Amino acid sequence: MQDGKSRWVMEALTRYEAALLRYAATLVDRAQAKDVVQETFLELCKAEREAVEGHLAAWLFTVCKHRAVDASRKTQRLRSLEDADVNEAPDSGPIKKLERRQTLSRVGAALEALPEREREALLLKLDGGLSYKEIARIMGLSTSNVGFILHTAIKRIQREIARDSELPVRTAGRTS
Amino acid sequence: MNAAHEDPRVTDYALGELSGEELARFEAELAESELLREEVVNVESTLSALRDELGSEPKPRLEAPQRERIALQASQGAARPKRGLRAVAFAAMTVTAAAAGALLFVSTQGRRAEVASVATDKLEGKEKGNVGPRALASAASAQDLPMAGQGQRFNRDAYDAFSDNPFVRVATDPRSTFSIDVDTASYSLVRRHLRDGQLPPKGAVRIEEMINYFTYAYPEPTGDRPFSVSSEVGAAPWAPGHRLLKLGLKGKHVAPTEVPGTNLVFLVDTSGSMSDENKLPLLKQAFSLLVQQLDAVDRVSIVAYAGSAGTVLPPTPGDQKATILGALDRLSSGGSTNGGEGIQLAYELAKQGFVKGGINRVLLATDGDFNVGVTSQSDLVDLVEQKAKTGVFLSVLGFGAGNFNDSTMEKLADKGNGNYAYIDTLNEAKKVLVEQATGTLMTIAKDVKIQIELNPAEVSEFRLIGYENRVLAHQDFNDDKKDAGEIGADHTVTALYEIVPAGGTPTGPGTDPLKYQAPGTPSGKAVRGELATVKLRYKLPAGSESQLMEVVVRDTDARESDDFRFAAAVAELGMLLRDSPHKGSSSYADTVRLASSGELDERRREFVELVRAAERLKR
Repeated sequence: MQDGKSRWVMEALTRYEAALLRYAATLVDRAQAKDVVQETFLELCKAEREAVEGHLAAWLFTVCKHRAVDASRKTQRLRSLEDADVNEAPDSGPIKKLERRQTLSRVGAALEALPEREREALLLKLDGGLSYKEIARIMGLSTSNVGFILHTAIKRIQREIARDSELPVRTAGRTS
Repeated sequence: MNAAHEDPRVTDYALGELSGEELARFEAELAESELLREEVVNVESTLSALRDELGSEPKPRLEAPQRERIALQASQGAARPKRGLRAVAFAAMTVTAAAAGALLFVSTQGRRAEVASVATDKLEGKEKGNVGPRALASAASAQDLPMAGQGQRFNRDAYDAFSDNPFVRVATDPRSTFSIDVDTASYSLVRRHLRDGQLPPKGAVRIEEMINYFTYAYPEPTGDRPFSVSSEVGAAPWAPGHRLLKLGLKGKHVAPTEVPGTNLVFLVDTSGSMSDENKLPLLKQAFSLLVQQLDAVDRVSIVAYAGSAGTVLPPTPGDQKATILGALDRLSSGGSTNGGEGIQLAYELAKQGFVKGGINRVLLATDGDFNVGVTSQSDLVDLVEQKAKTGVFLSVLGFGAGNFNDSTMEKLADKGNGNYAYIDTLNEAKKVLVEQATGTLMTIAKDVKIQIELNPAEVSEFRLIGYENRVLAHQDFNDDKKDAGEIGADHTVTALYEIVPAGGTPTGPGTDPLKYQAPGTPSGKAVRGELATVKLRYKLPAGSESQLMEVVVRDTDARESDDFRFAAAVAELGMLLRDSPHKGSSSYADTVRLASSGELDERRREFVELVRAAERLKR
């Protein structure tokens, strides 16, 4: 029985590790994101499988968000005590961000350049595979608001790509 | 740019989020419009480009030691909840890691009995008020994910985050205004978390509810007043040099024989999620306890709701116990929740069994994830408020942990003129439904507000401990249209203020002096010796005009009472669990010492054990 639980947690880890790390990185810096994701899975170990199964992804992203919010509150408190810039994580900061962006593809760069909220929603949708309703809960928004934010994000990405390539986006799509 | 380009439904459609009528309508439009089809293709290709991108990006990984730690924890599985605590008399109910839980929020209609008030003033001579900064502070950073869900069940209880009330300078704003709160749910929630071997989420720790869980020896009200007000001042144990002002309200005692007839409708959630041992079975026991106390003048009805709602028991006299208990016993769970229908039906039965001049109440029992069906949450609040005007009040008795929606319940209780207690054990059911039944069911004063004015000659800074969600704007004190808390028979309500005496060390940098005006200059009444003046407004249960009471608080050198030290200890535990910026020098060990320095009854002994449990788990 315990083995089953253990395997289940490790499978969840394999499947969602990268997505959660990417998601957490929209909320806190990358070093903290790792801690946050670790905590998320430690909580999963303690959770009852029956209570989580069926909505594992939503559960993981929800807990991940909670922990990230906790972590960023803690950092904010620390920062207000010390000098603001001293604590800046080595991999954030505008220059590093720019450098990182240059190594990304056009689409990746466009994704990276999204406003925080739009990127958060988009990652929850595409990486997490969550429904609008689940995203709405995690982000504390209404469902229609989520739809609107995702729509805006996609429009923005299309504009970014179009501008970068100086060509309108037009790809042969699937039939609808 | 065209209309199709701006249509957010295209994104919804591409993401598979349109359904039912919306989907049909959109597809009909799609068949008509070339532009719209093009746009769908466009969005879909962007989405697949994004998916490809996310799939091909280097995958971030945890560090090896982090993965190892998870693997280790996973192999150990769910940590058995630590239950070093007594109160496990109901061991049968602790089978699952999620402890049994029930909550009760009660809004009471008072008797019609007139409690004339002596020495009170009618609402006249309104003073000018201004909005206190704390009203804003309490608007809080509520962002701890509302998990109220239809369908989806998360193993996450929903709590709203909030910040502790800050210290306020008397020179800037000498007043503090708040609504009383007789809820005790937070203490039971905290206890449940600690017994499960977890520290509670900070949002679950509402210090005033923890303090008010315990009763304190306050004097019985004299004359015709519905409650007494008393105060005590002593040292703040966690902050050397600071004082602590304890205000106590005590609702008058009402003998069971004086309680008018009671008309109760049990509205029971029998959806599938209620099947756990700690939900429906505990609920039945809790209601049985209540039924035992009823007699022939009382009425009980039962409505069950799951996929559909139905009457299980029409209004039945309280002395027909076998009939009532039999109907309770037959309740079984299955199906999904449709609370909206059930609540309408319950109010219908409440109307049928209406006891004029008595207590008429719907008791909603659910596991906290109340699905209002077609009605929205705000519609529910409207309905509850509207029905309250007809004399039927709503109480909620919630069960179970895991998807428990504390924030919704507290808000409903708050809006619906009610009090709210979370019952995590059968003992708790006894406390609320038997020992304190009259207080739970019977209001003796409503819209009770407190406004305290500190004397600058004695106090430089102060802060209200807890009551973050109850802070009122100063002008609301005299506004009889502004709703506030209710106090029941025998209820005690306690509030603590931490005080920095005049001349004490400032708690923060403060603000620059004003350029255009001098801060308030003390009046001739700002004499030494008077710490504060406390004003209270309340309405009698059937009244619409508030009455005013005034009490002056003086600091003395008297030794603190046992009750004082105990209340301070409860506040300390709350601050430690909240990791409050004001916790000062407090520690769990100090809290244990402080709490055990006086006489301990069973509940207080349990508190001491909870502090020890928290210490073992400390962050």
